[in-house]
Amino acid sequence: MPGLIGEEAFAAVAAAALELEGADGVEVLFMHEWAGNTRFASSQIHQSTAREDTSLRVRVIRDGRIGVASTNDFSSTGAGSAGRSALEMTGVVSPDPSFPGLAPPADIPAATGFDEATAATSPAQRAAAVAEVIASCGDRMHAAGAYETTAMELGIANTQGQRCWAPITQAQLNAVITGPDGGNGFAESITPRVEDVDPGALGAAAASKAVASTNPRPIEPGTYEVVLEPAASSTLLEFLAYLGLGGKGLLEGESCLAGRQGQRVADESITIFDDATDPHTVGPPFDFEGVPKRRVDLIRDGMFVDGVYDLRTAKQANTTSTGHGLPAPNPDGPFPLNLFLEPGTASVDEMIAATGRGLLVTRFHYTNVVHPIESTITGMTRDGTFLIEDGKIVGPVHNLRFTQSVLGALSDVSMVGRDTALASEFFFAASCVPALKIDRFTFSSTSDH
Amino acid sequence: MLDVAKEAVDAAAAAGADYADARAGRDDTETLTVRNQEMEGIDRSTSSGVGIRVLVNGRWGFAATARTDAAEIQRAAKLAIEQARAATVVPGDPVQLSDLEPVVDHWHGPCQEDPFEVPLEEKVALLTEASRRMQQVPGITFAIGSLDFYRRRTCFASSEGAAIDQTITHSGGGIEAVAVDDGEVQHRSYPNSFRGHLSGAGYEHIRSLGLLTEAERTSSQAVELTHAPECPTEITTLVLDSGQVELQVHESIGHAVELDRVLGMEAAYAGTSFVTPQDRGSLRYASPIVNITADATLRGGLGTFAYDDEGVRAQRTPIIVDGTFERFISSRETAPVIGDVSSGTMRADGWAHLPLIRMTNISLEPGEGSLADIIGDTDDGVYMATNRSWSIDDKRVNFQFGCEIAWRIRDGKLAEPLRNPTYAGITTGFWNSCDAIAGPEEWTVWGTPNCGKGQPGQVARVGHGTSPARFRNVQIGVR
Repeated sequence: MPGLIGEEAFAAVAAAALELEGADGVEVLFMHEWAGNTRFASSQIHQSTAREDTSLRVRVIRDGRIGVASTNDFSSTGAGSAGRSALEMTGVVSPDPSFPGLAPPADIPAATGFDEATAATSPAQRAAAVAEVIASCGDRMHAAGAYETTAMELGIANTQGQRCWAPITQAQLNAVITGPDGGNGFAESITPRVEDVDPGALGAAAASKAVASTNPRPIEPGTYEVVLEPAASSTLLEFLAYLGLGGKGLLEGESCLAGRQGQRVADESITIFDDATDPHTVGPPFDFEGVPKRRVDLIRDGMFVDGVYDLRTAKQANTTSTGHGLPAPNPDGPFPLNLFLEPGTASVDEMIAATGRGLLVTRFHYTNVVHPIESTITGMTRDGTFLIEDGKIVGPVHNLRFTQSVLGALSDVSMVGRDTALASEFFFAASCVPALKIDRFTFSSTSDH
Repeated sequence: MLDVAKEAVDAAAAAGADYADARAGRDDTETLTVRNQEMEGIDRSTSSGVGIRVLVNGRWGFAATARTDAAEIQRAAKLAIEQARAATVVPGDPVQLSDLEPVVDHWHGPCQEDPFEVPLEEKVALLTEASRRMQQVPGITFAIGSLDFYRRRTCFASSEGAAIDQTITHSGGGIEAVAVDDGEVQHRSYPNSFRGHLSGAGYEHIRSLGLLTEAERTSSQAVELTHAPECPTEITTLVLDSGQVELQVHESIGHAVELDRVLGMEAAYAGTSFVTPQDRGSLRYASPIVNITADATLRGGLGTFAYDDEGVRAQRTPIIVDGTFERFISSRETAPVIGDVSSGTMRADGWAHLPLIRMTNISLEPGEGSLADIIGDTDDGVYMATNRSWSIDDKRVNFQFGCEIAWRIRDGKLAEPLRNPTYAGITTGFWNSCDAIAGPEEWTVWGTPNCGKGQPGQVARVGHGTSPARFRNVQIGVR
């Protein structure tokens, strides 16, 4: 285990950039990560990897002009060299009139997301967990997936005097178990602590779903009631964030929620917030500009409150940063990385029982944007899609392609699940979400499996 | 750096590896973005380190570290061995590598004018002027220009005796106009979307792009689209520009013929494939005019190199011949499973990652005639250009793609523009409906800079040579 470099060692290296002659302001972003990943397929471990890397990203301001350079040479020499490269850039670029300045000194919430056991997880421990997943496979079934344990420390220091440092860990295990006759099942676990991962239970859940989805039958596309399990709900939430919740898009009119603050945009059962300080998620208690993170309400009882802001967009919107800045330079603007959809009171069984004719969806695959202003996205179901009739699961069906407005779907939510899970999305970070029952959800075509 | 790679291989062999290879690498990048004549981002980065891959008792282990002192190399080599030994807790077939004659060589990819030596002032001035010209068009909201430069030096050594020092340069640039009007947002890009046209070349590629001369037209089309009618929903004849054919080849052929996907090695994340080893020589993947080639020797491609990250020499491989599927892209590990030898397509996202099967330059070989000929030969249909969106299922069967712009084709002529165009289909049905492919004069080697795969996620830059093409009976305007 490489171990933490630590706040003091970071400060000592950062000083070489912070003391750069000729600069009006300097910011140093430090990241150090070590991770191990045990990947499996066809019920064998086929890739077993480890990596360790550092990075120093130096932003220099001179006469209102900005340059950024980064290096993975974690040394005073590396920091100084990156700083000089960034300083050179300030000599050729035009002034940035909307530069808001560097983050001022501010207290940072205590970091609680580092777990020594997770950081120290050995290849043998990961392999043993994977063996448990594989042991869940029944006759003629096989498992694929990955178990990754990651430790990271992040630090920010700037010439305004702001200093942040926090270590975090994450353990992520996912599995797809495949049966002989088209059956597939998916399960995952994402947590800051490796002790919370239960490989046997995860494998059993995936295997059970693989059995249930054996011999899927064709189904016609159309508009259905749907019950989305958390892994599918997370796709709606993350694409809503991408299309609507960033301060830049809100300011510039490219957001599906632009100008809709204070308006109803979803069913009143929907409350969405971002909170990196919640112990159920994974993330540092400050953003990549050094601004403290806190809970930010985004949609409350179906009403759009506001989006997230970094220092630049906050200045433009005449508000304050919500702590959602990404590493500079950042043409895409701020983004919420720790989303929550507040749970309701229903179980998945109750949602199924309340469905006349609909589909139970395990998760979506390779979703992408169709019409950003209408929040319309398209993607495929995978790893277990089931027809529901008269309140009961009838059987598995072929995968379907949905083409659906996210805001439209959230406006048609009729039940919100009582249990939440930290669920991943193909292109985005994980969000903490419950299952959802949506009364109208459009599927535009089907596949052959 | 080659000494570092050799030292790592020696350390791994001494620690018990049955086979070892190592890549000591350095990546340099520079990106610039100008929006509305203001600098939105300028960024340089460097990254270096070594990745050590070992086979122990038929199982892979891999460890990568940014530090390359002797003690750290020893630690990483032992960690790679530990990774491999841990994998043996689960029984399975041992990895067998296809034979390979080790090579000692060095190679530099094409680069006439070093992009990292071109003054920043010149690059900023180009983007600022392109942005200014786009802003001259009334109604334009954002005028964006971007440049991206990459250089990767990889020093590869193996316990079989290979020692290869290889440097590759990629350069790209593009412009994008955004018009926001009455709740409608329309983007128009040139020469392609997602930061333009990236090529395996130096700054001479940027000079050839015509970013300034195309600025006004690009902006005008974005503004025009805000008031254009929506793409209708119907089944019709579809003509695609070469940039969208690039995306179509990438998603519905390139990924589907990766042998690791076919063998289930990516099942949990990116997915598998509808293509099976038994399909070789028999699957009617496309119409007889369709020929697809994987060519890592293609000049200007992002998937061009002299040796892959296993030390296998670059190859040109037929994938689909006269519409029939013939061969997968593969690696030393996967090819023997189906009785083949590696087609030399293993690449890693830098020194810190394990090599995976990645597309090289997967190209649709040119047909004949021009785009104008194809449109002139089309009574009724739609012409779509420039990719905007993509989605395809986990076996690469059901797809739905969107473009920036379309035009109605009426009586062999382009008519009114259409906004928000989309189309959908089933892979083999769609490719079997292809009845026209434009010729070599319309053939462009495009770059896809953002191809994702693997856990942990890796990004590869891959190439596709494509011409405009026509497809019959296609569902467009998906709602």
